[in-house]
Order: sequence, then C-alpha cells, then structure tokens
Amino acid sequence: MAGSVALLLAACSSDDGDGGDGGSGDQPYTIGLSNGFVGSEWRTQMVDGLEEAFAEYEAEGVVDELVVESADTDVNGQIQQIRNLINRGVDAIIVNPNSETALDAVFREATGQGIEVFAIDQAVTSEDVTNVVIDQAEWARISADWLAGQVGQGGNVVVVNGIAGHPANEMRWGAAEQVFTDAGVNVLTVADGNWDQATGQQVMTNLLATYPDVDGVWTQDGMAEGVFRAVDAAGRLDRITISGEARVGFMRLWNDARATGFQSIGVVNPPGGAVSALHMAVNVLDGREFASGTIDGNTVHVPIPYTVDETTFDQYWGEAGSESDAYSLDGSLTRDEAADFFE
Amino acid sequence: MTGAAAGLVDRVRGVQLSGLATVAMLVVAVAVNSALQPNFWDSYALTSNFATFVPLVAIAVGQTIVVLSGGLDLSLGAQVTLASVVAVQVVDGSLDRFPLAVAAALGVGLACGALNGLVVALLRLQPIVATFATSFVFSGLALVVLPTPGGSVPFEITTAYRDSVLGVPVALLLIVALALVWLVLRRHRVLRHVYAVGGDADAAYASLVPVARTRVWAYVLGGLFAALSALAILANTGSGDPFVGNELTLASVAAVVIGGTALAGGRGGAGGSVLGAIVLALVTNIIFFADVPTDYRQLVNGAVIILALALAGIPALQKRRPSA
Repeated sequence: MAGSVALLLAACSSDDGDGGDGGSGDQPYTIGLSNGFVGSEWRTQMVDGLEEAFAEYEAEGVVDELVVESADTDVNGQIQQIRNLINRGVDAIIVNPNSETALDAVFREATGQGIEVFAIDQAVTSEDVTNVVIDQAEWARISADWLAGQVGQGGNVVVVNGIAGHPANEMRWGAAEQVFTDAGVNVLTVADGNWDQATGQQVMTNLLATYPDVDGVWTQDGMAEGVFRAVDAAGRLDRITISGEARVGFMRLWNDARATGFQSIGVVNPPGGAVSALHMAVNVLDGREFASGTIDGNTVHVPIPYTVDETTFDQYWGEAGSESDAYSLDGSLTRDEAADFFE
Repeated sequence: MTGAAAGLVDRVRGVQLSGLATVAMLVVAVAVNSALQPNFWDSYALTSNFATFVPLVAIAVGQTIVVLSGGLDLSLGAQVTLASVVAVQVVDGSLDRFPLAVAAALGVGLACGALNGLVVALLRLQPIVATFATSFVFSGLALVVLPTPGGSVPFEITTAYRDSVLGVPVALLLIVALALVWLVLRRHRVLRHVYAVGGDADAAYASLVPVARTRVWAYVLGGLFAALSALAILANTGSGDPFVGNELTLASVAAVVIGGTALAGGRGGAGGSVLGAIVLALVTNIIFFADVPTDYRQLVNGAVIILALALAGIPALQKRRPSA
C-alpha cells in the first residue's frame, strides 16, 4: 500500500507537463499555501514559520516563489483558493483544509494537473493527497498517561473535550479513553467545551458543582486555560490535577501556581507542521519516494516535537515566556530528519 | 474580443442603461483578469472558473426574483446549506439515488420559500427581519441534518460537472440553462405579477393582481433557485458541509445590485444578476493574480465591490435627474 502510494506520487510528478515551470527534479519549484482560517495566532505562526523556511530554500535556488492564499473563508472559498494556485502553475500545494472531505474533488483537479498536494494539521480523506500530520492519538495518550499516573488507580476524572464528532476530537478521546480504562481510572463524565476557552471554563464550573469528588481533569488545547480558571475560582487547585497545554497563556498560569505545588503537562501541537510539509514537498518534487514504513496509506505522521512537564518547564518557559499569551510552543522536522522519511 | 464586445453592446443598446453598465464591468473584469492571468483562456482555467461561478449565479437569479417582488431574502444562503445537506444525506454516494436527491433539494427549497412567503405576505413582517430570523431556523436545521462535514456525492456527478462538451464547459452550459429558465419564467404570468407587485403594490392590487399570492410565489421561486445552487455546490465540492452556503447570501444581493436590479423592486432582471455574479467572482480572481498581499485582499475586495455597486447605480441616477 505504502509503495503504491509512493509510486503514484512519483508518477504524478514525472508527467508534470503543464504544472508551470516545475517537474521531477526540475528546480526551482513554486509552492502554494492554502489556509482557510486566520482567526488564531496558531495559524499566523504556521504561515510565518513556512515563510522563514521557504526563504532558506529560496536562497539556495531550490524554490523561487511561495504563493500564499490565507483568508477566513468557507469550503467554496478554499476551493477557489486551490484553483487559483493551480492556475498559477505551482508545483506543490500545502493546504490546511477546512474540511476533511469537501475538498477531495478539487484535490483531484490539482493532481490531474501534475501538482503534489500535502495536507497539514487536519488529515483529509482524499488518496490524491499526502497527509503530513502529528498522530492525534499519540498526542492525547501522552497527557492521558501522565494524568492517570497522577490520580492513580481508582482516581476520578472528568473530561472536557472539543466538539463531539469532530475527527481530531474522536481520535484524541478514543486514545485517551483507552489509557484511562487500562489504568483503572474512573471517567465520571465527558462534556464538550467546543475548543473555546470561555466555554471550557463554563463547562468546568458546572462539572465542579455536579461532581464533588473529582481528582483530575483531562482537556484539550485552549480549553485548559478555562478549566484552570474554573478550578482556581473554586479554590480546588490543590486537589484537582489538570492536563494542560503548551501555549504561553496556560504556561503563565501554570508558572504562577507552581509555588503552591501545582503541576501540569503540555504536549506541543506544532504550527511548524507546515515547515515539515515543505521539507517533504521538496523531497517529493526532487523525485524521491517515501521509504516503506514511513507512510501509512497516504498519511505521514511527524513526531510530536516535545512535551512540557515539571522537569522541562523552566527550560521552555525561559525560551517562550516573553511571547504573547496566544503563542504556541513550536517545533518542526529539520531537513535531515525529513530526508530520513525517504528512500 | 473587441468585435464580440461591440456586438454585445449593439444588442443591449435597446435594453437598459443599467444593463449596459453591467456588461461594461464584465468586459473590463474579463480583460483585466486575462491580462493578469496568462492561462485564463486555457481549458482548465475556463472550466474551473465556470465551476466556481454556478452556485453564485443560481442563488443570484433566485434573489433577483425576490427583490423584483419588492422583498429581500436574507435566508437564501441558509436555504442553500439546508438543501445541500439534505441532498447529500439522501444521495449518500449512490448515483441511483441522485434524482431522489435533486427532488429532495428542490423540496427543501420549496418548503423554505413557502415559509418565508407566508411569514412576509400573510404575517406582513418586514422581509429583512423575517428572513434574517428564518435563516437561523434553516441553518440550525442543517446542523441537525448533518452535524459534521461528511457524506459523498457520486464520482460521476463531480466528474461531469468539471467536464466539457465539444469544448464547452458543462458549468457554462448550466449557467446558460439557468438563464433560459429565467427567460421562460419571465414570460409567465407569475413573473409579470411579480414585476407589478414590486413596482407598485397598491396599483397592482387595484388591477386585480393577487398581491399576497404573488409575494409567496416570489419566495418559493427564490427557494427553488437556492436548491439549484445547493446542487451545484455539491457537484463542486463532492461532499456535504453544514456551513457551506451561508456566505452566499450577501454576495447574492451584491450580484443583484451590480446586475442593475433596483432594490426597491419592480425594475431589472436576472440576466444582469448572472453577469453581476460573474463579475463578483472575477474580482476575487483579479485580486489574487494582481498579487495583492493576502492581508489586504478583503479590504481591496470590499473596495472594488463598493466601486462596482456605485457604477451600477449611475444609470439610475441619470434616469432620476430629469424628473427631479
């Protein structure tokens, strides 16, 4: 399966006749970025990081132009973004998709024009596309493992999830639930906080009122800050353990509460995934094939860069503490690490 | 191309000054776009451009009919969303069920339009407020029908939508078909009544035009065109999304105005709106190919649309001057 996808990718790049000035091993390449949501610092970091990495390749003559399509838009708008990139004659498109299914048809148009497509952050179902994403299950397992260790067997936890039915939420919770079951941790209830800090805080306040015997909370992303504030307001920070996140806003609260013995964990969900995808794109455009075992179907899992915990907190807080609250701790594959994914 | 433009100009001379302004804008938009985009006339670029236009063209025709009747439908985008998620749930990837999905979408459009028509014509609520309110009902229902993006449209449909027949993109044929449906409707009694009611409801009532029934009809027709827009979106995306149509509402109003139809009702036609919708979509293309930095695109896009709206309004001003 992995081999056939790699062959398919190679075939796409080798018959690249009308995809602009590109082709297999025909540098310099033109790269397009399609991003359909600009309302978060995470996305801004994603675009900025990609531009930086691109500038390095540009200086070496490997690439010549980065066409950025980044605007708040719906699926129709993103289809038009991708069509514009196709008409611009790019060699590869890096896309942070607004939908895991609704762009499949336009991805087929792109690959039909000999263009390589890489999806980041959110995997898509289209087999024409190479997904370059972190393993959401692994991401969830790390913090769930830690929390299970903190509350111990027989401990009681509540869960504040993102949006029920959302693919990333299902993958994450599926993995975390398994961890809690295996560790003998009781999950009292699962609530949705819509990945929104304020909603997370409201939901947690209600949970605290309903469940007096909570030992821990497992939550995701920006909701950690809301959960922290709710627990803090109830004066129960000393008795309730919270799984956190690797964003400066939460780490600031964490830092202030450490004096009283508060501990947490933040698993990095890196905006730098776009940079990892750029390295992959250059390798594929150079005509290299994914090594067997590095690609599962059409999905490449990039490793989670690092985790902030009690032992590493000082180091990462020292590096990121001066950033704004919305800043996410980041990381991406180096070129050499990316090259290891290929034969 | 100048010859073709001149021919077009000749043909519309007898029609309306506002129509002339719309055609002029289209010619300018096409000229600028093809100057900025070297492969504008290539088959892929043409096909993909027309594929992008169809949903907006369809909803713009629907909005035109409502506006002509003296109303405004701010729920049309939500109707597109609801019709598309219902259709995608019905079709579920099977080509055999596609006719059923088309019927379901049209049924949704009909029901939504009838509800709007009843609220506006019988309860006599202000169209802007009433349809703004029903838009939440429709988009809320869409979330119930399809809570998360998903579902699939048969491969044959998405492929045919991107195909061309004898070098003519299928999407262009669909736009021509929408225009033909409009021309047929234009000759029908219901549309004559719509013009009469939108122009002067009291005079129409005095001439025995069924005013309330005509208003309901206008919203129902609007809903049916919203359903056609929904089907085009499904063919374009290949999948369902419970938020897909909502942004089309205001674009449809802009297309109507650029097309030279008076928001006061009674004057104009969907032909202009079809061109207006294409102008709107081309503006987005032009801004991309003009290398406007991504942070400035929305700003420039808004400014260009305001300019287009103003240009579309000039002929009306000139018409008004002698009588003032």
